[in-house]
Amino acid sequence: MNIIIVLAIILAICMLIIGGKKGLRSFIALFLNFIVVIVLLFFMNVPQFNPILLTFIACIVVSIINLFYINEVNPMTKIAFVSTLATTGFLVVLIWLFTKSSLIQGFGEEETEELSMMSLHIGLDFQQIVISVIIMSTIGAITDAAIAIASPMREMLTLHPEATRKQLFDFGMHIGRDIIGTSANTLFFAFFGSYLALLIWFNDLSYSLGEIVNSKIFSSELITICCAGIGVTLVIPITAFIASYFLKDTKEETHLS
Amino acid sequence: MKSFRKWWLAALLILCAAVSIVFTHYNDSFYHQTIATVTENTVTKTEAVTDQFNNKDTLYTQQLTAKITNGEKKGDVITLTNQYSDSKGFDNEYEIGHDLFIEKNKLAEKNDIHSYDIVGVKRDVHIVTLLWVFIAVLIAVGRLQGLFSVISLFINAAIVWTIINIYTTYDAYLLILCIVGIFLFTILSLLLVNGFNEKTMTAILSTLVGTFVSLGLAFIVLKLTNEQGMRYEELQFITRPYKTVFMAGLFIGSLGAVMDIAITMSSSLYGLYEKNPAISLKRLAQSGREIGKDIMGTMTNILFFAYVSGSIPMLLLYFKNQSAFGYTLSINLSLELVRALVGGIGIVLAIPISLVIVLFFIKRKQAIR
Repeated sequence: MNIIIVLAIILAICMLIIGGKKGLRSFIALFLNFIVVIVLLFFMNVPQFNPILLTFIACIVVSIINLFYINEVNPMTKIAFVSTLATTGFLVVLIWLFTKSSLIQGFGEEETEELSMMSLHIGLDFQQIVISVIIMSTIGAITDAAIAIASPMREMLTLHPEATRKQLFDFGMHIGRDIIGTSANTLFFAFFGSYLALLIWFNDLSYSLGEIVNSKIFSSELITICCAGIGVTLVIPITAFIASYFLKDTKEETHLS
Repeated sequence: MKSFRKWWLAALLILCAAVSIVFTHYNDSFYHQTIATVTENTVTKTEAVTDQFNNKDTLYTQQLTAKITNGEKKGDVITLTNQYSDSKGFDNEYEIGHDLFIEKNKLAEKNDIHSYDIVGVKRDVHIVTLLWVFIAVLIAVGRLQGLFSVISLFINAAIVWTIINIYTTYDAYLLILCIVGIFLFTILSLLLVNGFNEKTMTAILSTLVGTFVSLGLAFIVLKLTNEQGMRYEELQFITRPYKTVFMAGLFIGSLGAVMDIAITMSSSLYGLYEKNPAISLKRLAQSGREIGKDIMGTMTNILFFAYVSGSIPMLLLYFKNQSAFGYTLSINLSLELVRALVGGIGIVLAIPISLVIVLFFIKRKQAIR
């Protein structure tokens, strides 16, 4: 039997046993996200569509799945949703600045052989696609961090309704500092794991330090890691700010009414 | 005193950043390869092309004037020709200010003509700048914890690099090296992120048990299914046993996520216990299960997107070359999906494993009281 199906079934069973109904929803969410990626690919295939805009739409759909479907629609997930999109928007600009100047788009030297048979002038702008790739690889981590900060901030406000906006923001930042190391680690190890083959290849070619640093593959890996790290870090103050602003606001409104 | 030291540290970091960024701007003389900076750029020819699959693109030929910045010919002004397309999958559009590595064209030299070819782009300035932006953001937001995660990242990168070096020079057993690496990664990262205390100890133990259980399971599944459906084509550029390399990547890849679960579970359960030391184990177990349910969904998604997104450019290229849909997916996504699924299983299994281990230690503590 196909290994991917076997592994998917094992994962589904594990999630169902350990997570119950919510576990099953998490598995369905994973499957839906897979479909989102495939649909995104179909649209990206059309040269007339802007890949960055498509990616942003995909991010909206992914956030809806990860936040509203796995959890539910409530003030907390709404805040996490807005924070995720704000962070993504910010990240697009940053990645654009760095990818434009460092020319890391497209395919690396290690793939030349595999691609020798293919037509490479396909009319899609790989300089924009590389931005989509980095954004998409971080979106899961960004939604995770946003919900991890927004949710305890709301608990805090329920326990201490008298807390000021500033106190609430500081509390959010405090939570954020606790998770900063682990959520960055999750991404880094994932990247290390998938780049292992490339790093071994580099070592076998006995490149000099200068050649490694300036090569397209190494730079694009490093730029991906750094941008992803910046994304999961920036979501912390952004969520803390948005949450302290909106949670306090709705609270006052309910007081008045 | 403390804030005084903090300012010193900040000043030191800013100085390091400034020095290294300025250095990469002016380090051309340290390179053996010849470097030239583009000073002028004119597109001399534009040609619309259509390939056999009816994909439309435009090819441009650009004439560049560049100034050599190192070596014997320093200061010489040369002209370079470059061809690029709208898609830029394998070519680059150069602009004024780009630093390029160039090489003398050997064929032209024989005929006594001096002409140069572009062989690469100098990217070190951008890499170093971005690295410092990343470090600055981490420290600005995370303060001390941010600094620690920067340190832990560099230590982990150094360990990965050492493992690879030992493997390539001595041809040692990669999987054994990776198992040693897993111990080092887990202990060092969790100590740095969380400090030396009982929470960290239980998290380390849970991470190790969780990782090995899920990898053992993955290994059994790989053997039982005979790896049917796995396409290793993407890894065949390395001249080493690529299946072992894939397994090693699998070992390292899910570790971060399992660590995240272990530390979240142990921190929150110890937090509940410290608030109310008389809390019943049954109540703690129930809270632990609730926390686990909350984190499993988003965590599995982190790994999914981190792994799968990297294949997007290649998938698009295959589609545009009219490869069959199923073939394209299996050849470009099978390894990534296996990584994501094994990581996901690791995440989900880490929840009850951490729960049992934390409860064991809390039970012992309660018994002593």
